[in-house]
Amino acid sequence: MIDCQTLDPLVTPYVDGELDAASRDAVEAHLGRCAPCHSRVAAEQSVRDLIHAHQDALTSSGASPALRARCAAAMKRAPQARSWRARATPFALAATITLVVGGTFLYQVTDRSARVMAAELTADHIKCFGMNRVLGTHDSAAAVESSIGSTFGLRIGLPDQPQQAGLELVGERPCLYGEGRVAHIMYRHNGHPVSLFMLPKTTRPDSVVEVMGHEAAIWSSGDRTFVLIAREPRRDVEQMAGFVHAALR
Amino acid sequence: MRQGLRQQAAGFEAEALVFVDSLYRTALRLTRNPADAEDLVQDTYLKAFRAADRFEPGTNLRAWLFTILHNTARNRARDRARDGVLVDSEAAERAAELAGGPARDASPEGRETPESRLVRDTMAPDLQAAVDALPDAFRQAVWLRDVEEFSYAEISAMLSIPIGTVMSRISRGRRMLYDQLAPTRSAALSGKT
Repeated sequence: MIDCQTLDPLVTPYVDGELDAASRDAVEAHLGRCAPCHSRVAAEQSVRDLIHAHQDALTSSGASPALRARCAAAMKRAPQARSWRARATPFALAATITLVVGGTFLYQVTDRSARVMAAELTADHIKCFGMNRVLGTHDSAAAVESSIGSTFGLRIGLPDQPQQAGLELVGERPCLYGEGRVAHIMYRHNGHPVSLFMLPKTTRPDSVVEVMGHEAAIWSSGDRTFVLIAREPRRDVEQMAGFVHAALR
Repeated sequence: MRQGLRQQAAGFEAEALVFVDSLYRTALRLTRNPADAEDLVQDTYLKAFRAADRFEPGTNLRAWLFTILHNTARNRARDRARDGVLVDSEAAERAAELAGGPARDASPEGRETPESRLVRDTMAPDLQAAVDALPDAFRQAVWLRDVEEFSYAEISAMLSIPIGTVMSRISRGRRMLYDQLAPTRSAALSGKT
């Protein structure tokens, strides 16, 4: 049987309708014979009812449009997982993308800001495309995968049917930049060069960074980080990154 | 499956923004200052977005955001405490215990007691003022339960306190509101004046 002391922790869940039937009956039996407890429960119940009655008034004020905009902007700015992947889902790449695998360079992959890393890779992207007349060539996926394997000791699975997304795999050749730990894969999209860098044994938060007029989408998969760079609208870069992320094996 | 995950993520930003009003209201109760409340809410979205991959699809996004809001507010309070401005919710709780919720005398007949009717006549601004005047620990618990309608378990996670403490804070907070809003009546009924 419930006394005043054992009733105490049951009052709030009783008022909130959170008790099971047996406990509820026990509480009500006690309330029926204990006026002080009855009064206490009535007081708590009445405040709860009062707040509920005024809920509309209590919740009538809200965030200002300015705050809403700030929050939306905060999410867009934040280096974050999946932000651009989220927007990249409906991928419909109409243009031909050519793929070239470039050469090798050593890259200090740790403790650099995303912006510094993106800037160096963008410089490499510009230099590599400027120096090599490679965009008219075409290699099979197997040849490129094999080349990456022998050059970098890395295994990568390129998309089986890239043409489904308007992709064309062109070829690979070494970049002049660096000494061997980062794979530089080159694409073409809408006539513009696109680079994909693969950095082994490093992970980074997802983000999209603007550097030197280019957009760089950064993401990690397993223990590898990928950076896709192009001088194209952010939306297009996000779409390409989303496709590549989904299609790489 | 990856497609599903990405679709889930696609909605995250838009879904999260739906709750900006209730987050702001709650932040305002926590900070009592519009500018601080706005900063707190913006910080909450920033953190939520960075941690979006840790949000489990299918669980309550609103409760998750409220948990981040309260964690952020607690961290800020801790930072301020180093400057000596901490509001000690435990001390508030002990003070309330000493003040005591006086056991009121009986009004045995019926549920529609005069006191509950008196409380029901309270106007919204008076209620708002009384809620705002509650010590932090009780205001948070009552607000999250009665206004934002979270479960005890959700509030327990948000405030980082056991469920039993959640319930006792709600209980005491409601009784303090009652005493605040119906002072004459309760004093007369308590027979302890």
